[in-house]
Amino acid sequence: MTPLLEIRDYTLDFQTRAGPFRALDGVSLAVAPGEVLGLVGESGSGKTTLAMAVMRHLAGNARERGGSIRFDGRELIGIAPAEVRALRGRRIGMVFQNPATSLNPTLTLGRQITEVLERHRGLSPRAAATEAVDWLGRVELRNPAALMRRDPHQLSGGEKQRVVIAATFAVHPDLILFDEPTTALDVITGARILELFRRLRAETGVTGLYISHDLAVVSRIADRVAVLRHGRLLEQAPAATLFHAPQNDYTRRLIASVPKPEHRLVQDTPGAEKILEADHLGVAYWRPRLFGRQIFVGVHDVTLDVRAGEILGVVGESGSGKSTIARALTGLAHATGEIRLDGALVGRMGRAYRRAVQIIFQHPDSSLNPRQRIGEILARPLRLYGGSPREIPDLLAQVHLPAEYAHRWPHQLSGGEKQRVAIARAFAARPRLVICDEITAALDVSVQAAVIELLLDLRRQHGTAYLFITHDLNLVRQIAHRLAVMQHGELVDLLGIDDLGSGRENAYTRALMEASPAPVG
Amino acid sequence: MSARWLLRRLLLVFYTLLVVSILVFAITQVLPADAAVTLLGENASVEALAAVRSRLGLNDPVWLQFWHWIAGVAQGNLGVSMRTGQPVGPTMLIALSRSLLLAVCSIGLMLVVAVPLGVLAALRRGKAADLGVGLVSYLGVSVPEFVTATVVLVVLADRLQWLPATGYVPLTENFWDGVRHLVAPVLTVSIVLVAHVSRMVRSETADVLSSDYVAAARLKGLSGRVVLLRHVLRNALLPVVTVVALDVGYLLGGIIVVEEIFAIPGIGRQLLVAIENRDLPAMQAGALIMAATYAFANFLADLAYAFLDRRIRYE
Repeated sequence: MTPLLEIRDYTLDFQTRAGPFRALDGVSLAVAPGEVLGLVGESGSGKTTLAMAVMRHLAGNARERGGSIRFDGRELIGIAPAEVRALRGRRIGMVFQNPATSLNPTLTLGRQITEVLERHRGLSPRAAATEAVDWLGRVELRNPAALMRRDPHQLSGGEKQRVVIAATFAVHPDLILFDEPTTALDVITGARILELFRRLRAETGVTGLYISHDLAVVSRIADRVAVLRHGRLLEQAPAATLFHAPQNDYTRRLIASVPKPEHRLVQDTPGAEKILEADHLGVAYWRPRLFGRQIFVGVHDVTLDVRAGEILGVVGESGSGKSTIARALTGLAHATGEIRLDGALVGRMGRAYRRAVQIIFQHPDSSLNPRQRIGEILARPLRLYGGSPREIPDLLAQVHLPAEYAHRWPHQLSGGEKQRVAIARAFAARPRLVICDEITAALDVSVQAAVIELLLDLRRQHGTAYLFITHDLNLVRQIAHRLAVMQHGELVDLLGIDDLGSGRENAYTRALMEASPAPVG
Repeated sequence: MSARWLLRRLLLVFYTLLVVSILVFAITQVLPADAAVTLLGENASVEALAAVRSRLGLNDPVWLQFWHWIAGVAQGNLGVSMRTGQPVGPTMLIALSRSLLLAVCSIGLMLVVAVPLGVLAALRRGKAADLGVGLVSYLGVSVPEFVTATVVLVVLADRLQWLPATGYVPLTENFWDGVRHLVAPVLTVSIVLVAHVSRMVRSETADVLSSDYVAAARLKGLSGRVVLLRHVLRNALLPVVTVVALDVGYLLGGIIVVEEIFAIPGIGRQLLVAIENRDLPAMQAGALIMAATYAFANFLADLAYAFLDRRIRYE
């Protein structure tokens, strides 16, 4: 069968001040009609650029250096803008990464679907509205007729993504490019969206190019998978073959770094001694109003403890209150209830408490002061907690960074390196408990694997306990001794890792587990 | 939009006006002006002055004077001018209508010019058109309005003799002559506003152009015109509503200079006259009316914003 989309030897540079940067280098791939090709790569691999090249939506500094992109037998490179507009949306649709930003905030949801129906299918406004309601129902949204008049901000992330999907599929395009459509959603929502894709695909027989950094997600949806790295296509194979018998070294490493829950990375059992106890912890956020306050509950009545050397995983959907716990335990949010350190009630969090309990944040970009060199960043906690700046090289060595990095600025480091600095800063205080708030969420899988390895290493050396907050259930099942499950600001389950799947877990915990993308293979 | 929201906004307007009225009253109290002396002149006898003071209630405690004044204001009675003996309310409102005519025309002309300029600059970012618009607007912002006014007068009224130099003719009296008298002041005021607002439109439009939803709209295959009109402009022009309302504040203050130069008997000029003559009731009324106009303009802007951006209503 002739492929619907065929890219051959496609090469693209971006003009930068430092000279041309090769974003795509001799990429060749083909997608047959009715097939879904997964395109996997880490950040900066060029996968989104490739999608934009197909859509003919390239940045002003992009220079195409050769090759061809053929769609339905027709060369796309060099076609006229009018022809491009005739393809976009009508024949090639696109589902974007972040539904929160890809919908126009000031247009009703209905309008954002009917506008494409009117343009591409030539429907009258009335017919377009009927069709749009029908599609909102087909993407399993409740009360579609009322939704037509609603605005994007009134919907949750998953619902918004369903609207985007409805608007894309409603035009009946031949090819749909999915650009990380579940990345911005939490596990359960993402799993339901994937389910919807599978159903719509079966119903419509649409061809797809599914771009993701997440091998587990791609393994669920794609027939074949292509691996992209630094703009080069390393490998292309049927999904099962690729995951079980990868040919390329990088692919092998990529697959190996995907967390597999059965593969425990921690074997020991922690002591029974409780370091930190939180009793009936509650946090309410509020917003001032003309008369009084509007109150939002962050977390409500959470009681948990962390034992010496223990890794306590905290999981839940976005907005479930995971990070609020971290903020309460570090004094960043005002909390009600009691916090005990080594059995003693903590009133004002003084130096002793802060020394014992440190925190690492999700985004090292915003948690490291951009105007301080790495050395200065590390020297402050060292001095504060009785150490000396002379220990900086040691500290850097512990997180496997060279001593010269002390003279560098944060922006000169990669994301993974920055997170290592943040880890070093937390360990400068020689803490007994480190709260890790989604610290690998912004990192690529291979970098994530290395950071986790480092954390476990440090724990072996210092006996540090971790409160490990994450939405990645597969990852946390590899390392946690116990698991705290949050939903709507409440702790719904607190159980030993061995109790998972034993039937002793809460129904919500089970749902969360089932929604987690099965790891590769 | 919910009735509660509307009510809260209205309450806020009244609250603002209450605070302003207290301030205005307090300021006129500490001014070194004796109303009785203002009325009767420097040479009046002590007895006459005392009689006037007791007739006007100037010997009452301050809070009682304030109460009398604010109670009058609530009933629409802003007091009697010490200079002319006429009620100040109607005088000030007529003056306000002239100023508002000037302000509304200036804002209208400004919008017609500034919005296309700003959008054009954003679409041609970094190109000649953008730089041109930028240069013009920096000039407009940095040149004070008395200079702009002088230039307008010298060119249009003196050299070209197209327009009358100064003065004011009510539109109801002679429509065309009234319009001809308005052109020069409107031009002066709107040049400053255009400079200000076109910068704003440019940066807002540039932000929206680089947003995901505009990229999404393009990738949905919508035509360039639809993307610009439906997706870009609506979002880019929202903040302009707020800025225009804030500009009403500038207009009420800045327009004094323009009214003075072009001899338009607007509210700014009335206020100046009141201050020069130590005419306390007129000063109080003028300041309060200006504050009320400003508060009301912002209230309207809030309404317009909530109408255009439905996210606001739920906050």
